[in-house]
Amino acid sequence: MRFNTPRLRNVAGMATGISLLALSSAWAADVTVWCWAPEFNGAAMNEAIARYTAAHPGDTITVVDFAKGDLETKLQTQLASGTTEGLPDIVLIEDYGAQKYLLSFPGAFEPLTDKIDYSQFADYKVSLATVDGQTYSLPFDSGVTGLFYRSDLLAEAGYDSAALQDITWEQMMEIGLAVKAKTGKPMFSMDQADAGTMRMMLQSAGSWYFNDDGSANIVGNPVFKASLETWVKMLQTPDLYKAVSGWGDYTGAFNNGDVAGVYTGVWMTGGIKGNNMSGKWGVAPLPKLSNVEGAGHASNLGGSSWYVLSSGPAKDTAIDFLKTIWAGDADFYQKILVGQGAFGAYLPAREGEAYSATDEYFGGEAVWANFSTWQAAIPGVNYGIFTNEVDAAIVAQIPALVAGGSIDEAIAAIDAQVAQQIQ
Amino acid sequence: MSLTSKLTSLLMQAALWLAAFISVFPFYWMIAGATNTANDITGGKFTLGSNLIPNITKFFELVDVPRIFFNSFFVAIAGTFFTLAISSLAGYGFEIFRSKTRDRVFGGLLLMLSVPFAAMMIPLFVMFSAAGIMNTYLAIILPGVASIFMIFYFRQNTKAFPSELRDAARMDGLKEWQIFIKIYIPVMRSTYAAAMIILFMTNWNAYLWPLIVLQTNEMKTIQLVVASLATAYTPDYGLIMVANVLATLPTILVFFLLQRRFVEGMLGGVK
Repeated sequence: MRFNTPRLRNVAGMATGISLLALSSAWAADVTVWCWAPEFNGAAMNEAIARYTAAHPGDTITVVDFAKGDLETKLQTQLASGTTEGLPDIVLIEDYGAQKYLLSFPGAFEPLTDKIDYSQFADYKVSLATVDGQTYSLPFDSGVTGLFYRSDLLAEAGYDSAALQDITWEQMMEIGLAVKAKTGKPMFSMDQADAGTMRMMLQSAGSWYFNDDGSANIVGNPVFKASLETWVKMLQTPDLYKAVSGWGDYTGAFNNGDVAGVYTGVWMTGGIKGNNMSGKWGVAPLPKLSNVEGAGHASNLGGSSWYVLSSGPAKDTAIDFLKTIWAGDADFYQKILVGQGAFGAYLPAREGEAYSATDEYFGGEAVWANFSTWQAAIPGVNYGIFTNEVDAAIVAQIPALVAGGSIDEAIAAIDAQVAQQIQ
Repeated sequence: MSLTSKLTSLLMQAALWLAAFISVFPFYWMIAGATNTANDITGGKFTLGSNLIPNITKFFELVDVPRIFFNSFFVAIAGTFFTLAISSLAGYGFEIFRSKTRDRVFGGLLLMLSVPFAAMMIPLFVMFSAAGIMNTYLAIILPGVASIFMIFYFRQNTKAFPSELRDAARMDGLKEWQIFIKIYIPVMRSTYAAAMIILFMTNWNAYLWPLIVLQTNEMKTIQLVVASLATAYTPDYGLIMVANVLATLPTILVFFLLQRRFVEGMLGGVK
């Protein structure tokens, strides 16, 4: 049998063409990202995607956003079902919950230790996503804390920014009471049901609810006791704060000028700047715990990081994307700082223009540079698996404590409730 | 009218006004919120503001509104239609056709009502994933089409369906399926209307299961979008209220359109 050679060549050519097409479509990866907060996390991610796909036009990366609780429900259901279909390639996880996912679903997330240079990121963000020497996250937004205050109101009471440097919580309370006496406005808005104050105080002294082995570190933890005492003392001073309930009420109080300040994570900056009060705000370091060994002014509240799922078909592209943009493009961090107020944990970013710029809204201070300095000093702690459970146990004791209950008894009760829940 | 009866009527009026205020106020607050900025809302402003257009513009910029509403309407309408078709047929069958095992099967069904959805979620997820229908409209609708509650509801209402009508239809030579379609459905239209409102609202507001099976932005329903907008360091409440108003309108419309029949249906009337 004789083949018709030219025709055969055509067929072979076609076959090669088809297989090339097939190959190139295999190269072009489809990466899916899950996150919450489309205007913050989603917008920052989309900026990163635009930068990456400009250089890799074949790849598509899609952001799907859910409410934070919803994302966690979805992720847990799918990981628990053992079905990998429909899981994203990259997922955003809040830092407080990182250990829970990493320990509950071993093998579900891809270790990035060999792929990412973690010396470029704030230490505390790296340690919270490390299990057995393997780090799993691409650290994203920082929750480095600061004391945001109304400089105009404090000036009325006779305090300038120098008066807020290196102070303790007790000194802060004195200043707050003086502000109330002079201006009629309380210093803070405080929610008895939000244990954020506890978390900030604990981490500022390098402590947490748990030891490194995951056991509870509550009874006999001097930092825990000092933090609880300080928080309760603040709550027992009604002139210091406006009592609020819920997040909207809490943020509304300082955004509407009802109170003179707030101590919180850097991510609040965007909200505060949305208020038409330029030149009337300032940022000082977080006050520190007095009489506690190792207590400092640097702490953290909230924040989250990106994780790569090991089941994802586009895993390699996902890692390359995170490495190229999120762990390599300092200019990108300038863009999302200006655009979204997203303050990254990527240390080289601090050399950029936006990070070193002064801000007229905050009276011409170099606020981002200050936050960068404080971020580098945040002590790393083990957030453990049950942070939310301990929060709930603490909050349950607060009404009794504010009414004058014994701190030691409350700590024992918190410990008992936690022990019951985490056994 | 005696003094006591006047007093009673006055008290009753007051109580009704209070109840009406409590029911309507959240709606008013939602609408007022849609016209205000986030700061006005958290500051406790209850009057109408001037931020409606910016809120709406932002909502349309952030969300593919036509697509999201198409998804929600499609799921709600198709879900309602198929649930009505299957559950009413089952309820009718359970009541009309006698057999020895009928009540045992029905009892078993009622018992299954007590299994919480959370317990079925992961097995359902595994099944749907194996069937390859994740992220489809079918996946959202299917678990609800044989609604035990609706079967029960139709069976109860079928008790009021006059057997004379059925006997007469049989004498006239109608087949069983023809009796169902030509006699039963028209006679029971109030029951269907009430069921339709309940099902439309259930499907429109469905949350947990759509959240689990839907994977892409293009397939999301309005409820998932509203929830997603609400998680942020500084949520834009004005924007969220616009989304809430839009998400609430269809159920309000459906309710008012079918209101008369709904009341008849709940009272178990056959006309």
